[in-house]
Amino acid sequence: MNMHAQQPQRTGAETALLEAYDSRLSVLPGDGAVTVKRDNALEVLKAGLPTKRIEAWHYTDLRRLLTAVPQHDASAVADKLGALLDGSAVLPVLNGVSSANLPSVDGVRFERLEDKLRDGSFAPALEVQGTDDAIGALNAAFVADGYFVDIEADAEIAAPIELQNIQAGGQTHSRFPVRVGDRAKVTIVERQTGEGAGLSTSISHLTLGEGAEVLWIIVQDQPDDSTYLGQFNAALGKDSKLTLFFMNAGGRLVRQEVRVGTAGEGSDFQLRGINLLAGDTHTDVTMVLDHTKPHTGSRELIRNVVTGKARGVFQGRINVHQIAQKTDAKMACNTLLLSDDGEFSTKPELEIFADDVQCGHGATVKEIDHDHLFYLKARGIDEKTARGLLVKAFLAEVIEELEVEPIVEALEARLDQWFATHG
Amino acid sequence: MPAVQETIEQVRKIDVDQYKYGFETIIEMDKAPKGLSEETIRFISAKKNEPEWMLEWRLGAFRRWLTLEEPTWARVDYPKIDFQDIHYYAAPKNQSGPRSLDEVDPELLKVYEKLGIPLKEQEILAGVQKQPDGELDEANDNVYKSGRVAVDAVFDSVSVVTTFKKELAAAGVIFCSISEAIREHPDLVKKYLGSVVPTTDNFYATLNSAVFTDGSFVYVPKGVRCPMELSTYFRINEKNTGQFERTLIIAEEGAYVSYLEGCTAPQRDENQLHAAVVELIALDDAEIKYSTVQNWYPGDAQGKGGIYNFVTKRGDCRGDRSKISWTQVETGSAITWKYPSCILRGDDSRGEFYSIAVSNGYQQVDSGTKMIHLGKNTSSRIISKGIAAGFSQNTYRGQVSAHRKATNARNFTNCDSLLIGDQCGAHTVPYIEAKNSSAQFEHEATTSKISDDQKFYVMQRGIPEEEAIALIVNGFVKEVIQELPMEFAVEAQKLIGISLEGSVG
Amino acid sequence: MLEIKNLHARIAEDGTEIIRGLNLTVKAGEVAAIMGPNGSGKSTLSYVLAGRDDYEVTEGDILYNGESILEMDPAERAASGIFLAFQYPMEIPGVATMEFLKVAMNAQRKARGEEPLKIPELLKRVKEAAGSLNMDIAMLKRPLNVGFSGGEKKRAEILQMKLLEPQLCVLDETDSGLDIDALKIVADGVNALRSPDRAIVVITHYQRLLEYIVPDSVHVLYRGQVIKSGDKSLALELEANGYAGVIDEAA
Repeated sequence: MNMHAQQPQRTGAETALLEAYDSRLSVLPGDGAVTVKRDNALEVLKAGLPTKRIEAWHYTDLRRLLTAVPQHDASAVADKLGALLDGSAVLPVLNGVSSANLPSVDGVRFERLEDKLRDGSFAPALEVQGTDDAIGALNAAFVADGYFVDIEADAEIAAPIELQNIQAGGQTHSRFPVRVGDRAKVTIVERQTGEGAGLSTSISHLTLGEGAEVLWIIVQDQPDDSTYLGQFNAALGKDSKLTLFFMNAGGRLVRQEVRVGTAGEGSDFQLRGINLLAGDTHTDVTMVLDHTKPHTGSRELIRNVVTGKARGVFQGRINVHQIAQKTDAKMACNTLLLSDDGEFSTKPELEIFADDVQCGHGATVKEIDHDHLFYLKARGIDEKTARGLLVKAFLAEVIEELEVEPIVEALEARLDQWFATHG
Repeated sequence: MPAVQETIEQVRKIDVDQYKYGFETIIEMDKAPKGLSEETIRFISAKKNEPEWMLEWRLGAFRRWLTLEEPTWARVDYPKIDFQDIHYYAAPKNQSGPRSLDEVDPELLKVYEKLGIPLKEQEILAGVQKQPDGELDEANDNVYKSGRVAVDAVFDSVSVVTTFKKELAAAGVIFCSISEAIREHPDLVKKYLGSVVPTTDNFYATLNSAVFTDGSFVYVPKGVRCPMELSTYFRINEKNTGQFERTLIIAEEGAYVSYLEGCTAPQRDENQLHAAVVELIALDDAEIKYSTVQNWYPGDAQGKGGIYNFVTKRGDCRGDRSKISWTQVETGSAITWKYPSCILRGDDSRGEFYSIAVSNGYQQVDSGTKMIHLGKNTSSRIISKGIAAGFSQNTYRGQVSAHRKATNARNFTNCDSLLIGDQCGAHTVPYIEAKNSSAQFEHEATTSKISDDQKFYVMQRGIPEEEAIALIVNGFVKEVIQELPMEFAVEAQKLIGISLEGSVG
Repeated sequence: MLEIKNLHARIAEDGTEIIRGLNLTVKAGEVAAIMGPNGSGKSTLSYVLAGRDDYEVTEGDILYNGESILEMDPAERAASGIFLAFQYPMEIPGVATMEFLKVAMNAQRKARGEEPLKIPELLKRVKEAAGSLNMDIAMLKRPLNVGFSGGEKKRAEILQMKLLEPQLCVLDETDSGLDIDALKIVADGVNALRSPDRAIVVITHYQRLLEYIVPDSVHVLYRGQVIKSGDKSLALELEANGYAGVIDEAA
């Protein structure tokens, strides 16, 4: 299906992207097989950016919303950040470029993605996942760098690994393939931030071996005039467990896609996320979860706070395939709308082809509970403080489910920071 | 619950995929030639003796329709419809408009008798008599005590008779076919037709606006509580004929009306198209309760034949404190594409949607509702129960939205799906959109199968497996069934049992 | 009335054997208590008797009035007069208790070739039985077991037992979750059903219930077998000394 064949004219952004491809292709790493993939991706882009008529983009009309397409600026400078968690091995991608100075961690092998693009070994991974995969297409066409992380079987990695993708106002496109061996355990932090009105795309691909356990934390706090398009992909091996946490706390146009497949029996996926939406941000989190094997479980809990003129979106689709009997999947999305100019749209979908399952979702949009507010005020707390406390508690509940104290503390500190500037 | 027992009896009596209403009646028909053009529309309009403005309205819709494309977003899959291969008008000969009962062709009366639909005014619908074990049934207080029902019977493209017209007229209620209303009450029709579902609304609604042939018209004046249930029975009989009915119900300030709709069609190998539009308008303090038992022919056990049911139903709570309630039991049709909706425009208005959608065989259902909150302090409630069996696909698709000015909008949604067998699919696609900080929306959905624990428990009390499942399913849908008027509740429970026949392995 | 011979049963899904050569005979008019520590197979035994298909009988037989019931499905067993009072009665949403009683009673009557009960007669029976159990008739309009307290659920089980008039009653941990007043009411209900042509099997973990329903025989179940049988004094002995002594003795 050609998704926008009927569109007569390209938008400025579409034109800018196609021009950027022409000017950048010669300096992008990789040739031969990689270039074929880039060209394929470009074909998807040529058909036009997705509009709201494309179901996966129902609430985020990318064609209309993507207006600024800056050029990549090789001379711009981005600085490495201090790690979210103490003792992390940090892998920075600064203004789209990885560092040759790779950390040394027992049981882990790091590679610069640029090298894997140059030698062509990464070409197969540049496949676009369908015509509505605009982020995949954009990234495949332009990806220049990132890191490959390979964790050997049975390794229990004590130090968190932090992937930093820091833009500097221009256009950057990075990838982070991560392979976790059988029974290995690791915590991975992904930071998406920067300075300036950049356009940044980032794709991570995580594969979990049998019995592997991963906690993956995404913290996105891009500046208020930037565009960030992210995609997290994971394939869960037999009896493996993935907990994914995300916090969106910035950016003007943000889309975070989460695509997870329970490829192994007995695997378990946990998603916890908070969206802190202020100003005139448009932030969209879209999850597609495929239960493709029997006896798998998943829980998703998303909480959103909307202030200012912010617009938020959560789309979550749980597909239970016919052989995925005994699936146990539950999803919840709760929103506090704090401003009359803000809005939030939710589309929690269940698509179920197996009968012996327990699946459900819940979604609420609410005000702050008046009884709670009254109770706090009756204890002498002023209205503003009381509201702040309740909103923070609403979000902190999600963070606290991660249970690991230093991680909870670090994330709550980010939460406090956001409230200090937007509360 | 007498119906459970009856359901089982019924199920036992029939063979797999036997459709009780599948008979065909040979009646001499007056038909338009196949095909759709401005000529067809002029033909229909002329047959109906319509005024010029109506013809223009239709032609406007038709020109618009030519620019539209068939929607593809629903989870239904069917071969492309050849809109030129359909008769757009078919009426029993010498029956171009409704008349009094004693003038109706006796063959036609037999059809309705066979369908169990009472056209004699002294009769009441089967099942209306209060059950002797009334003490056991806590359901339903909002039954008309009289037990009488006025019926508009629509056969293919025309209304053949409307009963109790005189008595209704005495109360000021107009209940007639839409064709008659266009001739007799043009001001009302002009004012309201297309005011809820405009001719530009969507592919099928626009098609309907161009070619609709009949349907019912109800007008309840200010302060009047309609003295009896009103109902329309739609019957598609003729081959290769589309049915495009149009229903318009207006409840003036403080008026109340309860309206029922039932549908059946003969068993045929070809698919037939049914594209209806229903518009409801409730003014200040008015209430409209609209119930449907949809039992079009669903196709055979291999998925051959059956009705394509593409329907646009929308209610406009135009007045303050108005209320519109949709209750539907969907068991028929090969494909259902239907989203009875409420526009909550008036302050303090309320919309309700209660639905049971049962699919079996190769049926595809994509149904749900839209609750559009525009006024202040509006509230809505959605209860949807989907049951998928056989090879069917059953989708709930619903939208709840609160606009900027919809202060204190409230919605509660509950959609539960039950799967019987592992070859079918149940899907839930809600769109929840809040643009007002005082909106409070609660949505919950579950999908599961009948639990083995429940089934074992019920069987341990001596209830055989099929009955046990029917009992549990009837419990599952109870919340919706009790919203139906009594006479439909009994019928609906039977239908659900029949629809699930053969699905229990 | 009930004769269990060398019964072996396992969980169908994973093949774990739970009942391992169990022998038990209960005569008409007898009240037999089955006691045993957690995990000894007490609840499994009740499910196997009632015909739950999560369990497979691999060896042995269950004779009821001299005939094997292994080939009968749960509804057939129930219609033949076997009643199981569940430890955890299931909630059946949307089905009023009264409706359920009516459907169940008439299904069993039908299986026995009897006419369905007329509504006034049915109502009379239900009201009488509910009254004797101190149950509010209004409760019968609520969906079966939905939102019932633990005590209400157990009473509803005994109510069903009274109305269905079974020949063989199996009570699975009916005392669990009951306060003392509810326990008395339930026990009175059971005692009222004692009759020369009815057998009652009371499965319990504690002796407490047996103070109110005095058994004719007591059987100790351990690892899927009856390891000791005796009269009501055996229950007292277990209460005083625990299961360890009996288990050691058997080993």
